[in-house]
Parts: sequence; C-alpha cells; structure tokens
Amino acid sequence: MLRRIGAFLFGDSARAFGTLAAVLLVCLAITPAKDHFREWHRYQKKYLGLIRTRGDAATLQRRFQDGLQQTWIPELGVVDRCTTCHVAMKEISLQDVATQPFRPHPSIPHTLTEFGCAMCHRGQGAATGVQEAHSSTLAWEQPVLAARYVESGCGQCHSNALTGTPQLNLGRKMLARYGCVSCHAIREPGQGRMQSTNPAPPLTRISAKTSREWIFAWLKDPQAYAQTATMPNFQLSDDDARDISAFLMNQSAAPPAAASPAPAAAADPQAGASVYGESFCASCHATVNAAGLVVGGNIGPELTRIGSKVKPDWLMEWLSSPKKYDPHTLMPRYRFEQKQLDLLAGFLQAKTDSDLLAKVQLQPASAGQIAHGKILVKERGCASCHEINGVAKPESFAPDLTMIGSQSLAKIVFAEGVAHTLPDYLQAKIRNPHSFGKATKMPQYTFPASQVDALVTALLAQTERAQALPASLRVAGKRESDYHPAGKAGQLIADMNCFSCHAINGRGGDMAPELTWEGSSVQRKWLVSFLKNPNTLRPALIRRMPRFNVTNAEAETLADYIMTVYQTPSFDGGELDAAKFGPDEVEHGRQLFYSKYACQSCHIVDSKSDKGYIGPTLTHVGARLSAEWIVQWLKNPQSLRPGTIEPNRNMSDEDARALTAYLMKQNREVAGK
Amino acid sequence: MAKTLEGYISELQGTRVWRSVFRGGAGANNLRRSLAVQQNVFLHLASVKISRRSLSFRATWFLGTLSLGTFLILAITGILLMLYYHPSVPQAYADMKDLQFVVSAGVFLRNLHRWSAHAMVFLVFAHMFKVFYRGAYRSPREFNWVIGVVLLILTLLLSYTGYLLPWDQLAFWAITVGANLMSSVPVLGQKFRFLMLGGNTVNANALLRFYVLHCVILPLTAAVFLAIHFWRIRKDGGLYTGQGDSK
Repeated sequence: MLRRIGAFLFGDSARAFGTLAAVLLVCLAITPAKDHFREWHRYQKKYLGLIRTRGDAATLQRRFQDGLQQTWIPELGVVDRCTTCHVAMKEISLQDVATQPFRPHPSIPHTLTEFGCAMCHRGQGAATGVQEAHSSTLAWEQPVLAARYVESGCGQCHSNALTGTPQLNLGRKMLARYGCVSCHAIREPGQGRMQSTNPAPPLTRISAKTSREWIFAWLKDPQAYAQTATMPNFQLSDDDARDISAFLMNQSAAPPAAASPAPAAAADPQAGASVYGESFCASCHATVNAAGLVVGGNIGPELTRIGSKVKPDWLMEWLSSPKKYDPHTLMPRYRFEQKQLDLLAGFLQAKTDSDLLAKVQLQPASAGQIAHGKILVKERGCASCHEINGVAKPESFAPDLTMIGSQSLAKIVFAEGVAHTLPDYLQAKIRNPHSFGKATKMPQYTFPASQVDALVTALLAQTERAQALPASLRVAGKRESDYHPAGKAGQLIADMNCFSCHAINGRGGDMAPELTWEGSSVQRKWLVSFLKNPNTLRPALIRRMPRFNVTNAEAETLADYIMTVYQTPSFDGGELDAAKFGPDEVEHGRQLFYSKYACQSCHIVDSKSDKGYIGPTLTHVGARLSAEWIVQWLKNPQSLRPGTIEPNRNMSDEDARALTAYLMKQNREVAGK
Repeated sequence: MAKTLEGYISELQGTRVWRSVFRGGAGANNLRRSLAVQQNVFLHLASVKISRRSLSFRATWFLGTLSLGTFLILAITGILLMLYYHPSVPQAYADMKDLQFVVSAGVFLRNLHRWSAHAMVFLVFAHMFKVFYRGAYRSPREFNWVIGVVLLILTLLLSYTGYLLPWDQLAFWAITVGANLMSSVPVLGQKFRFLMLGGNTVNANALLRFYVLHCVILPLTAAVFLAIHFWRIRKDGGLYTGQGDSK
C-alpha cells in the first residue's frame, strides 16, 4: 500500500515535481491564512455585533475604524497597537459594558493619544495578540501592570504631587521619610537625588542623652519603644545589639557636666500637662493615649515612653536649647522660664514604661565587643542615616534605585515563591527582605499593605524612560530652596525654627500658613502682639502657633524684618487708607458679606450669630490685615497664596472695595484695648 | 498533423530574437550542445557533459545542491527582510516585533530565513563529511576541498553575524561572548576585537558592522567562492562518483 502511494506521488520525476510543488503551495497558503485569522479580527467583529443592538449604533459604527490601529509617537518611542482590540476607548456611551476589551477608558487629564497606553499600563504595546500584549513572555519581560500600581505611570513625568495620585504621593513621601533614600540613591529626572525629609538624630553625643540599656532595647525592636518609630528593625541578635550599644556608648563624646539641676521630683503632673498643651508639643510629637490611639504630629519623635529613654539632665538642656545638642533639629527654642522647664521635664520624665528595660541586663563592655560593634555599625550602614564618631557616611551603601522601575528581570534574583514580575519582587523585598537570604542587609519594616503598595508604586515610577524623557514633558516637583533669612531676624527665625511649620520663599513646612508675603498682608501692630502672644485665628484647628516667650525687642526685630522683606511685588500695601471708606460703602459691604457672597458660611464676623468655622475668624480682621491685601485677596486669593481653599468669586473692584470697607471696620475689640 | 510541443520550441529557438539573446542554441550535436553551455554566462560553470551516475542520489545525496538551494532562499528572504529592518539600536528590536505583529507574512519570512540558515549550516557540514568519507577530496580535487573549507567558514560567519541583528538579549550576549573569544588571540586579540565591534562593547557600531558584513561583504564573498567552487568541479573532471579517478 505504502509502496503504491509512493509510486503515485514520486513515481517519476514529473510526479515528484508535481507533488513537491503542491506541498510548497500548501505551505505558502498557510501564511496568508494565518494573517487572516489573527485575533484582533475576531474582537473587531465581536464589537460590531455588540454595538448593533444599541441605540447609538449608527454613531458608534461611524466612529469605528477597522483594521490595525496604532498610537505612534516617534519622539517617545511609543508604538501602541492596543486600540486595535480595545476599540471603544473613547466611547463614553459604552460605560455600562462590562466585558473587555470594549470598555471605554476612564477620564484622565491627558488625551489617550498623547502618550499611548504602555507608558502607564506597561505590557507590550506593539503586540497584536492578547497573550503577547498582556503577559510576560520570553521575548518581553513587562506584563501589563496591575491596576493598583497604575499611578506610577504619572510619576514618570510628574515629580510634583498630583491630587489624582494619592498613592504615588504617599509612596514618595515614605521613601523620603523612612530612610530609604539615605541608603539607596534615588534620582528624579532633572532634580538630583531625593533627600530624606526625616533626618535621623546624630549619635555623636548619645551617651549624654540615653542609657546603653535603652539603646539595646531600641536596637532589638524600635517599634516596641514607639509604635510610630521610623527606624526599621535590623533583626539583630542579642550579642550584636550588645556590641553595637557598647560601641555607640564608647564613640560618644563625654557628656558635659550637668549645668541645670534635675527637675523637682514633686513636679505637678497636671501643671506639666498644661505646659505641654499650651506649648502645642502635640503639633509635632505624638503620644499613645489611654485608648491606644496615636495622637499628635509626626514631625518630632513619639513621646509615649520618653521617660524611659532620656536622662533628666539631657532633657533639661534639650528643652532649654535644642540646638546645643543637635544643630540641625527642627525643634524650636521655646525660651521657657525655669518653672515651666521643671514642670515640662517632670511631666515628660513621668512617661515611662517599666517593661521596656526590665529584661535588659548588660555587663560592662569589653574592648573586643566595642571593636565588633564598630564592625557591625559599618556593616549595617548605620552611618547612612546617623552621624557617628569614627564611622564615615557610606557613599552608596545600597543599590541605586533610580531606574528600579524598569529593571530587567534577568538582573534580579528572586526569592523562592515570589512571582517573577517586578512589582511582586518589590513587594516581597519590602515586606520581608530576609526571605532573599540571611546576608541581605536591608532591615525589616512593618508597613501595612496599603503603604507597601504606595512604595512599590513610587519605585515603579523610577524608570529608564522617565530619565530619558524630553525636558519639556517633565513637571518638576517642589524642591526645598536653601533660603536663609539674613541678619538678626534670620538668627531668630533659625532659633525658633519657623521653617519647621511655615514656608517662606520655597523653604519650610506646610503645617502653618506660608509667610512669603506676610509683610504685605498684615499690620505691624498686630504682628508684634501676635508674635508675643499668638492667639488663634482658626478656632476649628487643634494645632496652632505655640508661644515662644519672645521679648519685646525680639518681636520688634522680627516684625520689622517681616514688614520690610516679605512684601509681594504685585501691589503696594500703602495705597488704600481704611479711614477713607464712607459709611455707605461699609453698609454695602455688609450686605455683600451676608447676602451676595454669604461669607458667613465659612467666616465669623459677629461671634454671636455667625457659625462659619472653616476660614479664619474675622472679628479682628480690620486690625490684622492691610486693606489693600484684603482687596487683592478677595479678587484673586490663589494669586496671593496658591492652593488656598478660599474660592475665587471673580469679584468686581467695587464689590471688593465695599467688602474691604466692611471688614476693615472689624477691629472694635482690639481698638478698644 | 499539428505541430508537437517540441516543434513549437524549436521554432521559437529559431527566431531572431531568441538567437540574438542566446547566440548559439541547444542543438542536436555535441558541438552545439557544448557551445550552448560555453556561451552562456550562467551555464558555463557547468559541464557540457556529465555521467549519469553523478546525477544519482547515491553519489552526492544532493548535499551540495541543497546547500546552494538554502543559500538562494536565504538571499531572497534576506533581501525581503532588509526592507523592514533598520540596523539601529532603538529600531532593530522594534522591527523584529513589527515583523511578528503587523507585517503580512512577516513571521513566515523571518522563520524561513532562520530555518534555512540552520539548514544551510547543517547541509554544508553534511556535504563536507560526505566528501570526506567518500574520499572525494583527493587529487585532483584538493583545491576545491580548500575552497569548500573557505565556504564553510563563510557560512559560519554569515550565521554568526546574522545572530546579532535581532538585537535581543540572546544576540547581545552571544556576540559579547564571541567577541571575548576573539580577544584571546595572542598579541593582536584586543585589536581584532576592537576592529570587529567598532568599539569596546557590543553597541551601535557593532550592530552596523555586523549588518554590513551579513548583508553585503560576506554574501558577495561567498558568491565569488561559490562560483570558483562550481567552476572547479567542471575543471576537476565533474563530480566524484566513486569510480576511482574520473576519466
């Protein structure tokens, strides 16, 4: 039988030639057939079937373009053919469609063809098949990014914090806050290295501050001392913690002789608590309250167990002059009186936890232990964050993460059980660094899942593409300027660390109002009295400006400086004289205030009837603000203070003037004094 | 009676146009046959007469002809691939992807080129072994054996230079390894490596060099040596048929 078939097909040369030609033709026919049966043909047909029954079928059909579709942006290297199957990206009327690939894209601030798809979603944009486009293959490492990391796409151009990308913003804040950037270099395009926003305290005089036992307990588990501690757990053995604590005590400069006496033992806890409250310590420092909740700010360290940590002498010195111990501290000098100092120190000293150091028993350290401690300190990179005598800050202690978001998987060593994708690797590395081997130096953090996601999102934004983007596409983040006010006022501003809360000329915190144009805004008389005795402008806020006990001379110096230097160039503060407003204008302003603009919904002018708690109280505004400032502010608040929530009502000049006339009358009580 | 097909053909060959193109035509006697071969630029590499035995499968397993066949397939598909390919770092890999995803019959074209390349290496080696074990390299065919060895090396070089062109990880590292091998040549190793890569690392220059080698220099050289190879077959008395020395 076989022989007969063989003879039929290859019997003579003509037959053999014919057979081979037929085989070749069949082979050649496979290729156009494969082209014809490509997946995207099927999806486009399915889409046409889907829209046929809809009300707006005619419109949808007209807008549908068949055949291969692509977004081609040569200067960005984008060739995305996703829209070949995802045909309805722009069809908002299909929002009720549940099946992919036919759902429309959610609204975003860019047009869909501005950057293509893969820039944010990853995957293989050039592919025209489902598997190739979405999954990781041998010839393409980047699968489509899980939706929860998609904000990383925005971060490639935007170094600034966008309102639409809370997760990315949080991740970036955490990178700067939790010391990631102290060991790892992370560069943002055109911006240089990301800087730590939460510098670790120097340890050069640590022996003056705390005991070796506390250091040991802290090293073993920082979160046991303070649950909000930013220092991660280095998972040190008892011996290693013992040796490091020995070295740290040993390298510390000798504490100076106690200058101030220890606080009176019988400090009144009630009075101490009220000094703590009046000084608004909780604006920066947190404590855990009786209900187990963390209450307070996160600028300074948590104080729940501070009494178990610091030495009484050190605490007194610190409270009276923080910069003596740490010249870079954010803590202001409060100029406390001795009695206040005693009360506050006593109050803080009483915040102890007897369990913390109960089990710590340390023998005096041997020279060998100290030497070993120093080796460990170098190995663990402690000096990346802390200043330590005799150990230089390592240059690049940990791998550079500038382009970690596009790291080739071939260059990554995966731990067992970790899926082979970049986000999964980053997740695993942050969650449990030691699963990558005992030699891993990265410490253990205790972030909840949402924060890990945020960190991964921020890291995924660090791509090679982001570094190579044209400068015109980059949106720079806000970088702290190195503004230093000059002269005597500058010294005062540094002494009271105004920048910890207020921003001026691009430097400083965001807890309190921005003061760059404060001189144009306020009246000098009010400013002097406010500096001496800050009262609250916003009754709804818990945090407010503490009293720094400044002297008259200091307040005058500061006020002079602020009134002269912090002037806006956009108008001249002296032009409008409040005294010239006529009573008609004032009355007209009152009506505008209560009826046309309904300002009382957020502001209080008459403390008996008005209920607005959102904005500052305006009962004394006529004594506080300059008339010209109020006019300009009413006309366009955002031009004077970008980001303020005061709405821009497009007020006419007449309305603004009338309202100002009315507001400038609101100074009765102060004037009466 | 109607003319036979042969009649039509001989009439066609008698026309003036035909004669002007082919000068002497195939004819009934040996002189005309040999003239037909000798006066044709393509045919004159071949013998005027060959033994029937040398045409049989057993004599050669057609390995030389098959090698030539793969070479021709490679030339044709290679030229078509050149229409879609840019030898530049940002574009090379993207062009591979375009061939895969959007060019009609792109995958077929690329695979045909790739598999033919593998087949050619295999066939050339098989050809050499067949010649070796049959003793066909012996006098008077020693020189053609040498040409054959040159062609083998050219085949391998074509294969190697083509390997870099997709510009993927496999390509990059294969060429890196190859270039490092090159640098172990005594004294001049580093120079050779530099010359080959057009630099110290596998980069844009290396890609361009390999592209030019792969598409121009090596194929042309191979064509020249192929011509000599075929010409020498005739000059050495036709294919070796295993019947002792040829007559």
